[in-house]
Amino acid sequence: MNLSSIKLNVNLVLWIIASLVGTIFIYRLLFFEKDSYLFFVVNDLLSVLLLIILTFYLMKTLGQKNPQPSALVLNIGIICAFIFLVMLFVEQVLSTQIKNISTGLVNQDVFENLIFTFYGLMFLGIASYWFATFKELYFYKQYRRKNSYFIAMSVFILLAAVSNLLFRGDEFGFIYNTFFIISIILISFNSIKISWIAFISKKEKISLLILSVVISALFIINIINSGKEEFNGTILMNFSPAVYQFFKLILLYGGIYFVILFFTTLFHIPTAEAYDRKANEVSSLQFFSKLITQVLDIEELAETITEIATKVSSADASWIVIKENNDTKILANRNIALIDADLINKFLLESGTCEKITETKICSLQKFANKSQLSEKFGSLAISPLKSFNEVKGYLIAARKNELIFYEEDKTAINTFSDYASVAIENSLLLEQSIEKERLEKELDVAREIQKKILPAKDPQFENLTVTSTFIPAFETGGDYYDFFEISKNKFGFIIADVSGKGISAAFIMAEVKGIFSSLSRLIENPKDILIKANEILQQTLSKKSFVSALYGIIDFEKDTVRFARAGHCPALLIRNNSIETFKPSGIGLGLTNNNLFSTHLEEIKIDLKESDTLVFYTDGITEAKNKDLEDFGDQRFSEILIKHSSESVNKIANEVIKDVTLFSRNHSQYDDITLVILKWNKKNNLDGVKEWQNSTPQLKSKVL
Amino acid sequence: MAEFNTSVKEQGAVSIINLKGYLDAHTAPILENNFVDLIEKNRYQIVVDFKDLAYISSAGLGVFMAYIEKIRDSNGDIKLSGMSDKVYNIFDLLGFPLLYEIFKSESEAIKKFTETK
Repeated sequence: MNLSSIKLNVNLVLWIIASLVGTIFIYRLLFFEKDSYLFFVVNDLLSVLLLIILTFYLMKTLGQKNPQPSALVLNIGIICAFIFLVMLFVEQVLSTQIKNISTGLVNQDVFENLIFTFYGLMFLGIASYWFATFKELYFYKQYRRKNSYFIAMSVFILLAAVSNLLFRGDEFGFIYNTFFIISIILISFNSIKISWIAFISKKEKISLLILSVVISALFIINIINSGKEEFNGTILMNFSPAVYQFFKLILLYGGIYFVILFFTTLFHIPTAEAYDRKANEVSSLQFFSKLITQVLDIEELAETITEIATKVSSADASWIVIKENNDTKILANRNIALIDADLINKFLLESGTCEKITETKICSLQKFANKSQLSEKFGSLAISPLKSFNEVKGYLIAARKNELIFYEEDKTAINTFSDYASVAIENSLLLEQSIEKERLEKELDVAREIQKKILPAKDPQFENLTVTSTFIPAFETGGDYYDFFEISKNKFGFIIADVSGKGISAAFIMAEVKGIFSSLSRLIENPKDILIKANEILQQTLSKKSFVSALYGIIDFEKDTVRFARAGHCPALLIRNNSIETFKPSGIGLGLTNNNLFSTHLEEIKIDLKESDTLVFYTDGITEAKNKDLEDFGDQRFSEILIKHSSESVNKIANEVIKDVTLFSRNHSQYDDITLVILKWNKKNNLDGVKEWQNSTPQLKSKVL
Repeated sequence: MAEFNTSVKEQGAVSIINLKGYLDAHTAPILENNFVDLIEKNRYQIVVDFKDLAYISSAGLGVFMAYIEKIRDSNGDIKLSGMSDKVYNIFDLLGFPLLYEIFKSESEAIKKFTETK
């Protein structure tokens, strides 16, 4: 049976208690003169019934309140002291009212009877309350509930009480004595198990130690004062022997319990600090797990940290300051205005309080000159450094108002927590950085992907012309673009361009440029006109900052010519008879200026092609490739390597150039895209110039070496 | 990449921006801010001196294009001076000499402003 599980209708019980109290009063007033055995039996039965019901009721109400043991102990102590005083003065007070106590007790008048009944009921109530309280203390933090011991004890206490009535007379005294002794043994046994001591803090233990001495002393004095021969004992015996016995046993219980409590507490004190620390760590761990789930959002995390910090340190306010360059920034503030936090921060920084602190430091705002400017009266601070990699990145500050100050004991808890908070903040910042980095890398991947799709997958092949293209992307897309167009049966168009800027924005412009030239090449068969038209479009669509350098050319297989115009792009090179000729016709970059100026300055060049003529088009990624001394690869080196290999195939020439550029810039990262397009005019053996597109592999060559 | 910084000085109505180091997509905002500041102060006669500039990328060139229209509409101009051959070649390839007046030295550029006044 579980004592607390007894369900009672509270109102009904109160009603029963009230009517029992009333009955006892009436009964005693009506029959007080009857000095018969029956009178006492009925009187005692009524009292015991009231005692049992009241005790159950009090146990239930106390259990629902879920009180702290220290509060219960204090309650017992206060009542105990009250009883002590009552017993001390009852004789003097009552003896003025009652002329002869011994006769008064036998032949009470109505008034005296009322007083004695009231007195007895009061002790009955107190005994019930104590019993309920002891029961609560007994079961507090008792993980394995040992109901049976407590129930046995209760039963024997009751038996001892009742037997006092039933077995009056010395011949039956042994029965009463047996119950009494068994009760005391069970009381002592049950008092040993004080499990809640371990769960209170050191401070509480020390006060409990003092309290238990006082209370146990009071209980012992009360026991002595309630002897049968004492005035108090006489009144209670007269009221109800059973209640009197019960009361005495409960007093004994109290005496034993508090003596044992004193020793238990005494033995617990040396370990109290360790327990406190452990308890703190455990609670901090719980908070830590809460922090872990929030590292995804630094601001939310900071909010939580300040919230928990106020709880952990029982502070009124808390905020986080983060160092940023040479300034500080408040990441989160709780229960404090930003202005106040700013003022305090300023004071802390200027007074040098925050300098070189490695753990939580407690400081007072006594010396804070601008204290009156604060909207609330903060008086004491606990400052904890937020460290990462042994460097202080910021501070977690907790503040208490008015006269409440932080103690050294508070420090450990705050310090432990701020360590966890540091880790959480650090993780959150790292995560943010890596997400940003990943996002940028993803963006660059996308840019490269776009570029790869925009560039031709294969090089065209003609009977009279060999074509090779080489493209090496930079890590951050440089915006190089080249393309080949099938204009008509005898005409082949090509473009090489470089979009300003880098990355994804350059990739988008490239896509636009490809669209423009793909369509224009079908409509216009004239390099200059195509570029003018392209400038007209790009001038409108590009942002002012963006532009495109381009070189557009058309090979005429019928007329054996190449015609090209240059809009701000690198010059075209012609290798003929082992010498190199640079063609740099006038022309402004696309999108830089209005069409009027653009077309006025755009020149077109026409070259009659001879056998083995090699045309080279490139982007500045080649000539501006740098070595570790930051020297450019330059036009000179470029020309030399081209001439050296000019008699070889276009693929061979391209490979040699790339090999040379790569070798030259091996100690320096490639900053810009590299594009190289080489065309070689072969001896004409077919006058019709029939061409076909060869299904060769994509010419995206990786770096040699 | 290497460092880039600018310094702005004033000579009468003319403001001179000195460029130093590497001007590319990442450092271009520094120069942009200089132009924005000058435009805010209604100083539209600007000389950009390239004497100490080691390198300019396409994004760096774009900065000049971004503000020239507004400056010219306000009867001002951006004149360029002191370019090394290497830097001049980059400007030249793109046709910038057709769009901007480029001078050998800072003082020539300033003189041009005062003469036209």
